Amino acid sequence: MKVVTGVVGNDIHVVANRLIDISLQARGFEVFNLGVNTYLEEFIDAVIETNADVLLISSLNGEAEGWCRELKILKSKYKNLKDVVFMIGGNLAVGEGDADVLVPKFKDYGFDLVYHQTDLNTGLDGLEKYLEENKK
Amino acid sequence: MSLLQEERNIIVQNKYADNFDFAEIEEFVKGASKDLFISHNFKTKNKMLVQPRGGFPTYKKMFSLYEFFDGADVDVLPCTVDSNTRLNDYTSAAKMLKLSEENEVDMLNGYPLVNHGYRTTRKMMTHFNKPISLRHGTPDARLLVETAIASGIFEIEGGPITYLLPYSKNFPLDKAFLYWKYVERVCANYSVLNEPINRESFGPLTATLVPPCVTIVIQLCEMLLSLEEGVKSFSVSFSQTGSMIQDIVTAKVLRKLARHYAEEINCGDADIHLVYHQWMGAFPANKDYSEQLINTATIIAMMVKADKIITKTRDEAFGIPTRESNAKTVANTQYTLRMLNGIPDITDEMEEEILTEEVMSIMEAVFNDKADTLWRKVFNSIKSGVIDCPYSPHIINHNEVVTVRDKNKNIRIIKKGNLPISDRCFEYEKSQCDLNKDASSIVNDIIHDIGIMQW
Repeated sequence: MKVVTGVVGNDIHVVANRLIDISLQARGFEVFNLGVNTYLEEFIDAVIETNADVLLISSLNGEAEGWCRELKILKSKYKNLKDVVFMIGGNLAVGEGDADVLVPKFKDYGFDLVYHQTDLNTGLDGLEKYLEENKK
Repeated sequence: MSLLQEERNIIVQNKYADNFDFAEIEEFVKGASKDLFISHNFKTKNKMLVQPRGGFPTYKKMFSLYEFFDGADVDVLPCTVDSNTRLNDYTSAAKMLKLSEENEVDMLNGYPLVNHGYRTTRKMMTHFNKPISLRHGTPDARLLVETAIASGIFEIEGGPITYLLPYSKNFPLDKAFLYWKYVERVCANYSVLNEPINRESFGPLTATLVPPCVTIVIQLCEMLLSLEEGVKSFSVSFSQTGSMIQDIVTAKVLRKLARHYAEEINCGDADIHLVYHQWMGAFPANKDYSEQLINTATIIAMMVKADKIITKTRDEAFGIPTRESNAKTVANTQYTLRMLNGIPDITDEMEEEILTEEVMSIMEAVFNDKADTLWRKVFNSIKSGVIDCPYSPHIINHNEVVTVRDKNKNIRIIKKGNLPISDRCFEYEKSQCDLNKDASSIVNDIIHDIGIMQW
């Protein structure tokens, strides 16, 4: 399985990004890591270029919403993104964010899986479970 | 006119910079008090020099910070510049400086040296008759360094690798090498007029589980690139690793090999110094614990026989420190240093042997690169992962090396990527760690190992 990952927007928190990369590899995924400071358009380009199964966006500085709200519009422009799993995780709000509010909000933007302030391994377990359940 | 001088004339033509009078600046450097040169202080002071970090936007606040440091018996004053200047964005720096002056709020995280200009800044830098160190993070520091030396700042920190790999995602590394070549030459040229200008490399890098062999190799490369341009006084540095014995061994190998490679390129006449950074990773939220951490770092600095120590403050976990807490660390550190005398010389011979072999293998691979100049060899080595800095955000960095702490908190390489270290060394590194865990537990260990001082 191919995963494109990276940190969205003007966010340079590289440590978590590297740990996501290592963890995904350890779980047997083929990882395309775009690194920090990546824009949504670049993520979509990479998904198409690599024919990825999963896009895993992370964010720590809390500014993800502003950078991701156009996901649905971007998705609608490409026909072959239908089977791609869109996932976002990290710290998804500036200041104290409430997962009960944030999760539906980001799902509405076009994400299949949303994790706010969740432990990395829990999030990746969730991804594996989702992939298993939605196997064609 | 030399090509370098032509380039200098172009660089200083910037609407935010002072109108440079190179003849006057030469006269100033020639006649400057020797106490302003850290290279001179290293020779005469006979103690570990204590240097804090710090920079404020306005002249007034900067001067006041220096007064606090002076009152705390500081050895070296810092001049930390703001983030806009580091990115050569003098327009934003000018605007933020103006806002800071008008509203008494600090809108910049350092002193915008280029915008203040050398004529103004020189008054402050010569006032205290202590050496000043330029702290920045700038890939293209040409105008900044011209302004610094003209101001009386005779120590320049940084380098093409250590100011790029930890700080930038895509600033071109080859350009950084060329911009720093200019800096080295300017420093070398000024060095013949009075005491030498000291160059210092930034050893902490990402301060995130960087294995000592990588730190040392990068220190040596930046030192050699500087010495080959004619710099006569250079400081190699590293930051507290989290393991006392690893710090001691790192210092021994770094010092020994710095001397060795300087002689290899016929630059054995240069003075080489060792600088130790107090813990550069995440600090505990408990300020009392922070003080304990800082004090322990001071003791280790004495164990490694550092020539200079760079301090942190009890405010580290919370933001830019106040003048008071910054000066307090300086006074406390001086106090601890006065207490420590006749520290025994200890080492771990096995560790020293392994680390020496690792560094020499990587250096050999760098020198064997097919490129014609040293900077190109180093550039190619970074590109190919022969030099690989963990947790660098830069796209050129290989990012294949994985490290973890062993039971004694030493940083160990468990995945070596393209680092050309021998099987013997790699097996030794791995044998110190428990690698029989599943991958998720190792990732959890790494998370814990990064934040080791927080709990």
